Amino acid sequence: MTMNKMKLTGFETSSPGDAPLISVRDLHVRFATPKGQVHAVRGVGFDLGKERLGIVGESGSGKSQTGRALLRLTAGNGSIEASRMMFDGKDLMQASAKTMRSIRGSRISMIMQDPKYSLNPVLTVGKQIAESCRRHENVSRAEARRRALAMLETVRIREPEKVYSLYPHQVSGGMGQRIMIAMMLITNPQVMIADEPTSALDVTVQMQVLSLLDDMVRERGMGLVLISHDLNLVSSFCDRVLVMYGGRIMESLDAKNLDQAQHPYTRGLLNCLPRLDGKHDDLPVLRRDPAWLTEGDEVREGGAT
Amino acid sequence: MIEIEDFSITFGSGKNQIRAVRNFKLSVAEGESYGLVGESGSGKSTVLRAMVGINSHWDGTIRVAGEALTHKRSVESRKHMQMVFQDPYGSLHPRRTLDDTLSEPLVIHGLENREERILKILKEVGLGPEFRFRYPHQLSGGQRQRVAIARALILEPRVILLDEPTSALDVSVQAEILNLLSALRKAHGLTYIMVSHDLAVVGHLCSRIAVMNRGEIVEEITEDQMRSGEVTHAYTKQLWTASQGYDRAALETFQEFA
Amino acid sequence: MSDGTLGTKTGSASWLLADSPNNAFQARCQRLYIGWLSFRSNPIAMFGLAIVLFLCLVALFAPIVAGGDGTTQNLANRLAPPSAEHWFGTDELGRDIFARIVWGSRVTLYIIFLVSIIVMPIGLLIGTTAGLLGGAVDSTLMRITDIFLAFPRLILALAFVAVLGPGLENAVLAIALTTWSPYARLARAETLTLRNSEYIMAAQILGASKIRILIAHIMPMCLSSTVVRLTLDMAGIILTAAGLGFLGLGAQPPLAEWGAMIASGRDFLLDQWWVPTIPGIAILVVSLGFNLLGDGLRDVLDPRSSGAK
Repeated sequence: MTMNKMKLTGFETSSPGDAPLISVRDLHVRFATPKGQVHAVRGVGFDLGKERLGIVGESGSGKSQTGRALLRLTAGNGSIEASRMMFDGKDLMQASAKTMRSIRGSRISMIMQDPKYSLNPVLTVGKQIAESCRRHENVSRAEARRRALAMLETVRIREPEKVYSLYPHQVSGGMGQRIMIAMMLITNPQVMIADEPTSALDVTVQMQVLSLLDDMVRERGMGLVLISHDLNLVSSFCDRVLVMYGGRIMESLDAKNLDQAQHPYTRGLLNCLPRLDGKHDDLPVLRRDPAWLTEGDEVREGGAT
Repeated sequence: MIEIEDFSITFGSGKNQIRAVRNFKLSVAEGESYGLVGESGSGKSTVLRAMVGINSHWDGTIRVAGEALTHKRSVESRKHMQMVFQDPYGSLHPRRTLDDTLSEPLVIHGLENREERILKILKEVGLGPEFRFRYPHQLSGGQRQRVAIARALILEPRVILLDEPTSALDVSVQAEILNLLSALRKAHGLTYIMVSHDLAVVGHLCSRIAVMNRGEIVEEITEDQMRSGEVTHAYTKQLWTASQGYDRAALETFQEFA
Repeated sequence: MSDGTLGTKTGSASWLLADSPNNAFQARCQRLYIGWLSFRSNPIAMFGLAIVLFLCLVALFAPIVAGGDGTTQNLANRLAPPSAEHWFGTDELGRDIFARIVWGSRVTLYIIFLVSIIVMPIGLLIGTTAGLLGGAVDSTLMRITDIFLAFPRLILALAFVAVLGPGLENAVLAIALTTWSPYARLARAETLTLRNSEYIMAAQILGASKIRILIAHIMPMCLSSTVVRLTLDMAGIILTAAGLGFLGLGAQPPLAEWGAMIASGRDFLLDQWWVPTIPGIAILVVSLGFNLLGDGLRDVLDPRSSGAK
């Protein structure tokens, strides 16, 4: 593999010594709609190690569908295709529905944008966390409760006993997202897919939630995929960034080198962000090049072999 | 242009009374662009809603162009101040074409030459005449927000209140809308009050910024202070740091401000 | 029938599907056409529409289709079984049942029409007003609605007819007065969710009066669910009308009304089954038609299911 190919396709983890947790090649997601077929993800490939991998893109770039496809959670009218989708030595494309159920939640977890829709409104949050623990591990009720309380403490909720018995509508957005994270982490997953986990939150709360995910990666060696539209956030938080546009990966680069991005799309996105230290002049507008949707096809094929 | 003094907003009464905004005052010059920044629950949107008269639970004085506003607004007084909302999907009536949406204010205020005015305003916000008879579902988020701006602008107001006008848009579309807003301000000498949670967006458009927390203004800063980060209040400092991106070390210093 | 409409539509399809309509009329037509395309893809709803259209055609051309006025008595040929001459047989007075069914379709349509034009405006107006204004107006209007809602429909209709006197118009009035309350509740519930939407706020800020907001903004949004509910209720309305007719409180003889026909024919159910059964089938088919149509319309019109598309 040449340097150039690696840059484009992102087949390189930050910790090259280890085998990747997740390895995807040539992933396609298509949807059948009344207006014809929509090709949402077009040949995406990457490896995820024990690292923080960011996927950035605008709406419709296929970033969320890429995350869902990893768990085979694509909506009913969609189909997934990939030449390779391995998780911990298992081929996720071949896995039975039962195997997928046992992987989802316990080994690969997912956090969505809005905790309000992901939590059951008629159960207390503590019960839901304990339930999630008991579903994946054979432990007693008392043990599950103890672990749930410990987990609430881990996600820095101040009075875990009190929060344990609250209903989802009684908690704030930031706390709701922490509870979601606690629920997803209690099964000790190896990979976490976080789809815009903080975009509904205030900036300071956003930082606190991210620091929790950060701890999990550092302390437990979890692999994290952070899907976001926020370039600033991803570049300051992640180790590696994949920039997606039109269902393709435009560029893959180290987060700290985002400023030196080569691809015109990444450059365009960076330029049109208003900056705190910027001036009042008009912002440069992003000009889209249709060639971005076809370029590098040969290189990608070469890289996948 | 706009003076607000001794201003407070209170919901409910007795035990359930919530003081959403307290000790609020601001003064905005004609043609100025003023920002209100704060986290959710800071009361920044509530202030805008009271100013345009959707919410009448306020006390104090609001003067626009020297004239004090009352709780009940006359149709005529609506002409001077308009508002653009956050959600481009929710702020346009789904069953009405752009033509219906844009001609309604003209009908209400009895303005003539409707066709001419509609075509002119569409052009100004960067939409061609071919958009005139489309429904909102045929437009993208950015195009819808342009229509919302056109609707606010068609009565030729002097003040426009912007409630997070770009927070639901992609960054590339956000840049286009921000450019449009500053071009319109220059062309018409408009006065803006913009509410946002995003310091960078407010800093881009506004020359003075009030930082709000829990219903009170904690500090008013200039754009220069915003750029350099030389702010005095600890809350502003924290907000500014958080807006710089993820920083593990800085996070440890964060505190709650009551 | 659908072939004919299809043929003309393809010719003007480009006009109907153009991305940027040139005038308000074209935009509205496009909207209808796209709704029609989605309605057309639902065969069951199309079946319902066919039944309803068939009913309308039969009613329109009743004098030609029936081949008689349906009231001519022929006592020599009473209770004749179905035959080539009398397709559905004859009743106890020797009248041709086929002709009476055909003429009866006019009565049914008349009932449907009258009930619709009374129920929809009353329900919409009361519901949206209560929802938009809130407070004391809301409480008053909704308690009145509750009173009407609390009575069983047929009993209340009976009481009204007893006061107003028997007759088709009074029966319709009675049905309408007992039917509007759920519509008011539906419209109110929808208004409450719409009231806080940003486009209603924007209209307020532009200076739109309450009446303008009610008529131009809220009512169009509530209209579709009301229409859907009405088509789904239509079966019940036809049955109530038939029930009143059956009890002798609706249409008066010799006017052919399906419910009254069942009532007068019920003595012959065992020996001359066709006399009460045929009008019963007619009621069943028409009720079914409206129900299927309503289901299809809901899929097309309901703002929740049609969503952003």
